[in-house]
Amino acid sequence: METVSRLVSQIASHLLSLNGPRKVLESRRMEDKALEVYDVIRTIRDPEKPQTLEELDVVSEKSVEVQELGEEEYLITIKFCPTVPHCSLATLIGLCLQVKLQRCLPFKHKLEIYISEGTHSTEEDINKQINDKERVAAAMENPNLREIVESCVTEPDD
Amino acid sequence: MKDSLTALCKLSGHPDSRCWFVAWNPSGTLLASCGGDRAVRVWGREGDSWVCKSVLQDGHQRTVRKVTWSPCGNYLASASFDATACIWRKKDDDFECVTVLEGHENEVKCVAWAPSGSLLATCSRDKSVWVWEVDEEDEYECVSVVNAHTQDVKHVTWHPTQELLASASYDNTVRLYQEEDDDWVCKATLEGHTSTVWSLAFDASGQRLASCSDDRTVKIWRECLPGNEPGTDTVGSDLSWKCICTLSGFHSRTIYDVAWCRLTGALATACGDDGVRVFREDPTSDPMQPTFFLSVHMPKAHSQDVNCIAWNTKEAGLLASCSDDGEIIIWHYQSEA
Amino acid sequence: MASHFSGVLQLTDLDDFITPSQECVKPVKVEKKQGKSVAKIQIEDDGSYFQVKQDGKLQKLEKAKITLNDCLACSGCITSAESVLITQQSQDELYRVLRQNKVTGDNSKQVVVVSVSPQSRASLAARFNLSSTDAGRRLTAFFKNLGVHHVFDTGFSRTFSLLESQREFVERFRRSEQDKKSLPMLASACPGWICYAEKTHGDFVLPYISTTRSPQQVMGSLVKTYFAEQQGLTPQQIYHVAVMPCYDKKLEASRPDFYITQSDTREVDCVITSGEVLKMLDQEGLSLRDVDPAPLDTLFSSVCGNELMRHEGSGSGGYLHHIYTYAAKQLFGIDAKDISYKTLKNKDFQEVTLEKDGAVLLRFAATYGFRNIQNLVQKLKRGKSPYHFVEVMACPSGCLNGGGQIRPLPDQSNKDLLQKVEELYRAERPLEPEDDEHVTGLYDTWLRSVGEDRARELLHTRYHAVEKADSGLTIKW
Repeated sequence: METVSRLVSQIASHLLSLNGPRKVLESRRMEDKALEVYDVIRTIRDPEKPQTLEELDVVSEKSVEVQELGEEEYLITIKFCPTVPHCSLATLIGLCLQVKLQRCLPFKHKLEIYISEGTHSTEEDINKQINDKERVAAAMENPNLREIVESCVTEPDD
Repeated sequence: MKDSLTALCKLSGHPDSRCWFVAWNPSGTLLASCGGDRAVRVWGREGDSWVCKSVLQDGHQRTVRKVTWSPCGNYLASASFDATACIWRKKDDDFECVTVLEGHENEVKCVAWAPSGSLLATCSRDKSVWVWEVDEEDEYECVSVVNAHTQDVKHVTWHPTQELLASASYDNTVRLYQEEDDDWVCKATLEGHTSTVWSLAFDASGQRLASCSDDRTVKIWRECLPGNEPGTDTVGSDLSWKCICTLSGFHSRTIYDVAWCRLTGALATACGDDGVRVFREDPTSDPMQPTFFLSVHMPKAHSQDVNCIAWNTKEAGLLASCSDDGEIIIWHYQSEA
Repeated sequence: MASHFSGVLQLTDLDDFITPSQECVKPVKVEKKQGKSVAKIQIEDDGSYFQVKQDGKLQKLEKAKITLNDCLACSGCITSAESVLITQQSQDELYRVLRQNKVTGDNSKQVVVVSVSPQSRASLAARFNLSSTDAGRRLTAFFKNLGVHHVFDTGFSRTFSLLESQREFVERFRRSEQDKKSLPMLASACPGWICYAEKTHGDFVLPYISTTRSPQQVMGSLVKTYFAEQQGLTPQQIYHVAVMPCYDKKLEASRPDFYITQSDTREVDCVITSGEVLKMLDQEGLSLRDVDPAPLDTLFSSVCGNELMRHEGSGSGGYLHHIYTYAAKQLFGIDAKDISYKTLKNKDFQEVTLEKDGAVLLRFAATYGFRNIQNLVQKLKRGKSPYHFVEVMACPSGCLNGGGQIRPLPDQSNKDLLQKVEELYRAERPLEPEDDEHVTGLYDTWLRSVGEDRARELLHTRYHAVEKADSGLTIKW
């Protein structure tokens, strides 16, 4: 009986030592990925103002969530917070996020961008538009839109 | 033997760009592709491989979103983000642009020829669907502008034999149109999808229509003959179509395209999760409530979103797909049945 | 929300039904203040915006106001127009003015003039089973009972529009050898078409458009200049309302070209549609049949005895008909009495030709509805348009089927109603523009007295290409 219970506890501790750290490691790895993503987006400039999205609290570290989709492939979810609820530039900010991540992320990913819940009066419409890759692709072929997006996503020291 | 999908050939279709769409010609000998590089390419078989036969450039100023063959196979039509559609005439091995269709306010998303070849439909982000008529001198005139959708119109397709037009939209609906008193009117609105409907495909008979959506489902709609069947899902009058099957739980992201093989009845999908899937109908199931089962799933068929899937028009099992990675893959699908 | 604007306007991204606060992207000038501090804006629960100053005090921010003129000058939507129109041009505005007249002293009372279009008359006649003229008489009584001072008929001002169009065409035809943009002359009476042309085809198509004012805006000239002078009134002492078959006419009245700057007033202050007149009748609890007819105001009306008159040709003003017969006579000495219309692609695309010895002397067309306008414009662009004059209207079937007309009753098809309206419109006796002695008289007295340039201003107008939005901040994608 004693041996059995020892065996059980051994197995249990074995499992703990194996799985616990793996989970911790796993979430650490996702956090690192999220920080890597955040590093790309925090320096994007607001289309209208001289500040960056980070400076305006449009994005913060908490805006980014990363999940593993498969081997070396990640699902990135970004929730940003437009400065005012009627801000007509929310779609433009979404466009900047899409474009910069598409260009700068070194790993394979799928991207979803949303407005933080309750921060915009036409939340659903904007979420739908900025996640429609066809609309995004077409917008980026409009020279005037492209010019603005470029000026927002280009690093100052580039 | 299990059902299988084998890659026969990988083509670098539109390098450093997206490949948006591929289309087989009516005789099944040529494949046209288009993409973000503003070009249309035509591919033909040489021995075991497929090679680029011609490149159609300088027709469009922006992305070419869709390309389609005329029923006679002598013309190509291309739809572009530059707000125009181009008509190209085949001349020996090459193509020349014979007409540019202007009028849409912004991006033209799709272009499709009616089975007769004398009517053409286009649709656009400007929310409208246009029907054009062509005469013997390749002159196109707009016969109707229909503003039925409330949003971006993503796709248009014609019934395989009748002059019935279907469109899919960002407004989550599918609409069907017919001519009435020398104008085209929306005769039915198919509601059921909960997000953008990206593409449509009629089956060989034209009695059923498949739609695929950002809501990650495929829906099969069936024509209900007047007075026959209760409980239709169509809003509006004359035409009555009903959703008889929903394929959900199979796809993990947006489904960008659906293709119904007119030779075998197999249904293939192109998905934003990089996968290609083929479904088959259970032949024993009730035609009014059919069951479709997943015959083959090829995860990571491409390295990025799969945008389009197309069954060859003559050779059963020959399938082409294309992706955001710019690649085109030609597959062979085999089923035990 | 169903649209009121013509299909042409709906298609051109002009009419999206969003309120200004939601998506209007028109940049608003902001007063720049010194200092580099970052402005903080705080939003209160009631939706008002406050700027937080450096000392921590709150300053309420003004809401940006968008006028209809802003909308018309912007290449974005005119969506906001919908809500702006409701506040600036509606039956409620007319009621407001009439109420105000009742409570203010004589000095600040406004003289209220209502000018009713023949198409609106026919639409109301059809709803109440009256003849058009009878409807006109009863409408006169209805408006006067509400406190309106004068009720005129825009058929009268249309006589000017037709005469001016005829002369303009012959003049353009004669200089067509030297001036490639003089022909085809495109009709100018439809504001939906004008708005579309200005926003979408700009400088290419505008030179082809006839400079002649529409009947509504000729009436504007007549009422706010000639009539005002006669009555010893300033233009802003008159409140001028037009009753039209079409919602787009509200936009026309708001054009800066029809604004009298020195008097700070519009030539037409308010446009209400046939349907909105029906709403007024409902509001008063009246059927038009219950209103006893009143004698017609003959000052600015096409009347003979106590009967209103009409013009020959289409229910959209008969421009093609009148220009054709006049040009045939003036240019070729031919009396073209019988005009045969040939239907081309569809019923809204018709052609008329004047031939002599097998040669085509004149080729005219009537193109209604967006699809036919498209083919016309594309043909023009390719240099393949064979026409000398085109009567262009935005609505399928033209003005009798305008977006502001009364909708069919539940048991009535649109087709049947349209046919009825057309029959009622045509039942009035026709009047040749040249034969209206009252109009001829006004040319001799009023228009001669003001001089040639001023007379031109009073009867003609200009068009302005709208620049495409080029700032990425304002582009809808």
